[in-house]
Amino acid sequence: MSNSEQKVFIIDDDDAVRDSMSMLLETMGLPHQCYISADDFLDNYDGNQRGCLVLDIRMSGINGLELQQRLKDMNAFLPIIFITGHGDVPMAVEAMRQGAMDFLRKPIREQDLLERIQEALDYEKGIRDELREREESKRKLLTLTTRERDIFERVADGHANKVIALELGISERTVEVHRSQVMRKLEVRSLAQLVRIRLEMKNAID
Amino acid sequence: MHHEIRKPYIFPARKNPSVFLLALISVLTGCIVALIILPYEFQLNQDADTFVEMVMQVLRLFLIPLVAVLMYFFLKEKYRVRQIHINADRLETLLKNLPGMAYRCFNRKNWPMDFVSEGCKALCGYDRSELEEQRVLWGSFTHPDEIEPVERSILEAVANDEPFEVEYRIITRDGDIKWVWERGCAVGVMNGETILEGLITDINDRKLAEQALMQAESYAKAVVDAAVEAVITTDDRGYIETSNRAAQKMFDYSGDMLTGRNILVLLPETYHEDYEEFVTHYLSTNESQMVGMGHEFTGKRRDNSEFPIHLSISKVQYESECKKYVFLVRDLSAQRAAEKEVREQREQLAHVDRLNTLGEMASVIAHEINQPLTAISMYAQSSLHLLDNDRISGPQKLRDALEKLIVQARRAGSVIERVQQMSRQQSCHSEKVDCNALIKDVHKLAEVEAHIRDIVITLKLSRLLPTIECDPVQIQQVILNLLRNGMESMKKAGFRNGNRIILRTSRTATGVKISVIDSGNGINDKTMEQIYKPFSTTKDTGMGMGLSISRSIIRAHGGQLEYINNSNNCGVTFYFTLPFRQQISNGS
Repeated sequence: MSNSEQKVFIIDDDDAVRDSMSMLLETMGLPHQCYISADDFLDNYDGNQRGCLVLDIRMSGINGLELQQRLKDMNAFLPIIFITGHGDVPMAVEAMRQGAMDFLRKPIREQDLLERIQEALDYEKGIRDELREREESKRKLLTLTTRERDIFERVADGHANKVIALELGISERTVEVHRSQVMRKLEVRSLAQLVRIRLEMKNAID
Repeated sequence: MHHEIRKPYIFPARKNPSVFLLALISVLTGCIVALIILPYEFQLNQDADTFVEMVMQVLRLFLIPLVAVLMYFFLKEKYRVRQIHINADRLETLLKNLPGMAYRCFNRKNWPMDFVSEGCKALCGYDRSELEEQRVLWGSFTHPDEIEPVERSILEAVANDEPFEVEYRIITRDGDIKWVWERGCAVGVMNGETILEGLITDINDRKLAEQALMQAESYAKAVVDAAVEAVITTDDRGYIETSNRAAQKMFDYSGDMLTGRNILVLLPETYHEDYEEFVTHYLSTNESQMVGMGHEFTGKRRDNSEFPIHLSISKVQYESECKKYVFLVRDLSAQRAAEKEVREQREQLAHVDRLNTLGEMASVIAHEINQPLTAISMYAQSSLHLLDNDRISGPQKLRDALEKLIVQARRAGSVIERVQQMSRQQSCHSEKVDCNALIKDVHKLAEVEAHIRDIVITLKLSRLLPTIECDPVQIQQVILNLLRNGMESMKKAGFRNGNRIILRTSRTATGVKISVIDSGNGINDKTMEQIYKPFSTTKDTGMGMGLSISRSIIRAHGGQLEYINNSNNCGVTFYFTLPFRQQISNGS
């Protein structure tokens, strides 16, 4: 599956730069894909690609900054490492303000490039994992019954079983049963994990 | 050729009294005479002998018809004479009222007149009698230049048995020259001489008007023919009637070839529809009445080559019906070419201008070099990786990487070579330049930018400037660069010294001095040290190349770029002098 594997997407209109970067990544064993222009990339983009972009800020056609904006508009999350030339400082600043991962000035130091790529890939992976976890939690939460959900919220908010029993007008024993049921359904083992899911949920609502 | 004398044409008289009536009157008269005479004779005859009686008998027998016949002829003759008188009177009145002079003359030298009508006095100032008695001869006061052609026309007409018609000048008794028109014909031969009859009438006024008209016409034709613009007239269906020389030259046709053709032959077929539409619109809205209105089209020469034209039409309408059109066509080729040249120059300048902010040019060069450098560096790194990690398939890939690396190294080299070549080429280009015109061009280029920043560029140009040998584009770059620096500085100073920046030209002993006087912050001691150093800048976004390159350009032109702070701490003046005569060297 295409989205299971992270790739480095190289977009540069200079054949030599693209080719050399491709070779470098190949020798490093990094999966990658080359595009000659931003249009070329957008034409092949289906929303499922994962990884990061290495993007020349100055290109004919859609330039780097515009592509960044387009991806943002599409809600596509792909960290971008910009490659800038001499005198492109204002553009680079703008790129960073728009949330670029980093920018590298030409001529690029390969070590820097590889490090930034790794960082970007890790970052992307982290975000993806988090997203996926959140999706998972949401799915699991949906399996709870209304009663279980009430008890989950109260437990996660730090109420004692006794208080919960009193509030809901049920026995403490029942609360305990529900609670263990919640833990099982949400596949958590500790109270701490439960609290995290609750917090994520709240964040998602906000 | 023989001619009978034809009777002059006489109007038909009142209806002739009938022969019967005349005869009746005659017979009656005969009878009356007989009755009166016979009884008297009878009395005489009483004593007469038979012989006398017999005679009287005979007389008696013949008297009545005799008297009647005599009476008849008498009356008839009487009537004829009266009729002739009436007719002569009428003819006289008629001839008198003719607008001119009727005549009868002999067709020989000087045309002696046999008869002329009263009109002769008014026509030539001579009396009728003078002419008829041949004391003066018509030919003697015919204009000497005209006698020969008139004679010829008459002879020719007579020979062909045709009426003649001639126009010529006469000299009147008062010495005036008068144009006359004559029409006549030979009416017969008398004593072996041809007799001419005809009418001569005064056409002086008409002739003068005609001459004036002809003069005006030929004047107009000369103007039209001398015009640079093509002038073509057509009928209402667009068929060409006349064309001037410019039109024939412009479309490469002779006049004869154009006449009778449709005007559409001068336009490429693809434009015919446009043209029809234009004409309809143009004429229906009467836009043709407006000066300078017209439309741009493409014209077609005889060899089908196309060229841009400006077309305007006006309608000639007279007698409210018959329409003609006058087309004025201007060849826009030269104008277009000039426009194109100007545009190209502008574009070139604009391009230079873009590259200019000379720092930016350096940035472009840097980019061009950085690309291959980046690639080289990455190929090298890849090679290292291959050496370290991939010893099995390594050699082939390594070779590949290194080969590509070499290509990129060469690419970087060629960029540098190109830059060198470019600067060398630029240095070589030099021409005679009017510095004021050059400054005005710069002004135009910088005006928009200045306007955006609310800065006013003022020109103070010396009128006494000789032309200077220089590379105009480079000098413009320098001035633009100085202008930009000045404007930046003024913006930084918050316009506390005003918003005026001055471009000044003046003549010095050695050349033309060009100054850019800003009202910004001026230059302090600290910046002074590094002002010409490459890559040093006081600007937020700048390469620090501008002044450094500007100075090189001015040096190459044999001048020196200098500056002086204005008095009152009111900005700085950058100036340089371009010497009258120098060799542009190939940079510093």
